[in-house]
Amino acid sequence: MSFTRMMEGNEAAAWGAKLSRAEVIPAYPITPQTELISHIATLIAEGVMKAEYIKVEGEHTAMAAAIGASAAGARVFTASAAQGIAYMEEALWMPPGRRLPIVMCMVNRALAPIGGLRPDHNDSLMQRDNGWIQLYCENSQEVLDTIIMGYKIGEDRRVYLPVAPCYDGYFVSATATPTTVPAQDDVDDFLPPYVHEMYSLMPENPRAPPRAMNMAKARYEVQKAHERAKTIIEEVDKEYEKRFGRGYDGLLEEYACDDVDAVIMTMGSMTGTARDVIDEMQARGKRIGLLKMRGFRPFPTEELQELVKKYHAIGVVDRNNSYGSAGGGVVSMEVARALYTLDDRPLLLNFHVGLGGSDVTMRQIEYMADKTLEAVETGKVEKVIDWVELLDLGEVM
Amino acid sequence: MELNELFDEYFEESHLQGGTTCCPGCGGPLFWRMALEVLGPKTIIYGDGPCAGCAIRNIKLPTYSIHFSFVGDGSTGIVAALAAKGRDDITVVSSGGDGAIGDISFGKISAAAERNENMIQICIDNEAYMNTGIQKSGLTPFGAWTTTTPLGKEAPKKEIPMIIAQHHVPYVATVSVAYPRDLQAKIEKAKEIKGFKYVHTVMPCPTGWRFNPAKSVEVVRLGVQTWAWPLYEIEDGVLKLTMKPKSRPIEDYLKTQRRFTHLSDEQIQFVQNEVDTKRQRLIENDGKRIIL
Repeated sequence: MSFTRMMEGNEAAAWGAKLSRAEVIPAYPITPQTELISHIATLIAEGVMKAEYIKVEGEHTAMAAAIGASAAGARVFTASAAQGIAYMEEALWMPPGRRLPIVMCMVNRALAPIGGLRPDHNDSLMQRDNGWIQLYCENSQEVLDTIIMGYKIGEDRRVYLPVAPCYDGYFVSATATPTTVPAQDDVDDFLPPYVHEMYSLMPENPRAPPRAMNMAKARYEVQKAHERAKTIIEEVDKEYEKRFGRGYDGLLEEYACDDVDAVIMTMGSMTGTARDVIDEMQARGKRIGLLKMRGFRPFPTEELQELVKKYHAIGVVDRNNSYGSAGGGVVSMEVARALYTLDDRPLLLNFHVGLGGSDVTMRQIEYMADKTLEAVETGKVEKVIDWVELLDLGEVM
Repeated sequence: MELNELFDEYFEESHLQGGTTCCPGCGGPLFWRMALEVLGPKTIIYGDGPCAGCAIRNIKLPTYSIHFSFVGDGSTGIVAALAAKGRDDITVVSSGGDGAIGDISFGKISAAAERNENMIQICIDNEAYMNTGIQKSGLTPFGAWTTTTPLGKEAPKKEIPMIIAQHHVPYVATVSVAYPRDLQAKIEKAKEIKGFKYVHTVMPCPTGWRFNPAKSVEVVRLGVQTWAWPLYEIEDGVLKLTMKPKSRPIEDYLKTQRRFTHLSDEQIQFVQNEVDTKRQRLIENDGKRIIL
């Protein structure tokens, strides 16, 4: 039976894993992911969920056990955050190359030392090069839905890649929002059991992908899987929407973008705040819209190139920074590369906010939207990279 | 029957295929030939990258490896997957080298033992990082030359089997390829027991220990006879010496390997005293419960 109630992101994630019938869950606690694995432990203890729960001694082991279990034919779920993701990094490079469709929630949290327990995106973004699909979620409902979709995407034979639903610690993980938990039968109907065509460790029928002799070719295979995944993510999203009545526009969502001059681009929980700010600004006649970056890997290059044709400026909001980079945050650098090949490209602004887990306020979003509109009016960008949190913006909006 | 047919038959029965990438005289392929005879075809072997991984490369059963910093944990995942699938007919064997088990994966092994994972954990111990070119590990014995201990190792070898035994696991054993019947009896016993079983073997390494590859079995046999590598098992916490040879001087063992040639008489005496103490304690505790 489907039911709806207020639910924190971590509990929603536990339901996502349960409904997906994850069979093996190796997990190690780290704030702000802890409630997620505690919820799973409870669901198992209460007999609601059936899975092998391995209480491992560290994240390095969590991912290794995930790899072993996935290769041995089990559907695997795990989750981590910040230092935990950093600690398991050695293992994180294995599932994409081995083509193992593990789903792991990355519950975003700022990395030490200049961080706290609250979220920024550097922990998941530093894993951008290793082949994991990364989908950034805005609220509990999206977390739950993205986990179920994650298995459908990752286990597609055209993809065979691990998937990371990413969501902000506290702002999503510990904030209760109305969440619908679909019926198990409906999810079973949507998501068939996990069968890996390339792998079996069972002695009666062992098989494995051929060992890579040409490393460039093997890596290119993963790259091609990412390119194919763009279509699969859209397909799965549409199918999910048809069945459950909720969709997320695949990799990139346009919000209130009809007849606007410019957009700001957000990722994660700040998108919810940004929706309200944009609504309010449009009511005041401001011609600004919102782009939500949901899929960071694979990066929606073509989709972005198509969408931005309509806008004169784009303000990218980076909840991360890359020390000494070519310019700005990680998302904005990717956007710049995607726009570079366009003959007629919009002005590009980069804003740093929410670093080290500080709150992203409505006033800050309004400021960034105003600055983006200002660039449209003047035809030039006053400040390419703007550390918004260093400014005194006065009253809260 | 043609010679090649004989070989085909042999390799089919032994679950091995012809050829190995190991060094001449390596004990690894020898160990697996003996172990697979008793493990049988319903086995999944998980192992690490360097020497110990090299030794499982020609096994014709499902093998899986990640990297040598993942010993005991990838196999934990396989054990969990089998449990989830209700497959209790398959033996999971996890293999690691001394560098993995003594150093980088030490915590992994300890945790797998604590969780009592249903697998046989093997330690293929050639007493140094041989694959990277002979560097000291936590299981390199006192005095041994390696490229990172040019004057000989200062600290003694970690007593991993005894450490694992203190985790209250059902079975721990030490074996040697010089004693195949003892080795096979212990693997067979480990296969029948549920839970975490630990089998540790010191493996002859002509490349790193510096001796003639033809002498591999002789060298490790001397290791057992001098009590440098005593053979025992610990079942449910009770120690049982499975081989109680009349002791020979440790020098007989040390002088077979050029990694020990620089040792002074005084250092050799020190090693002898250590071995004597250990032998005496083992004999005193034979048949007794030794875990706390």
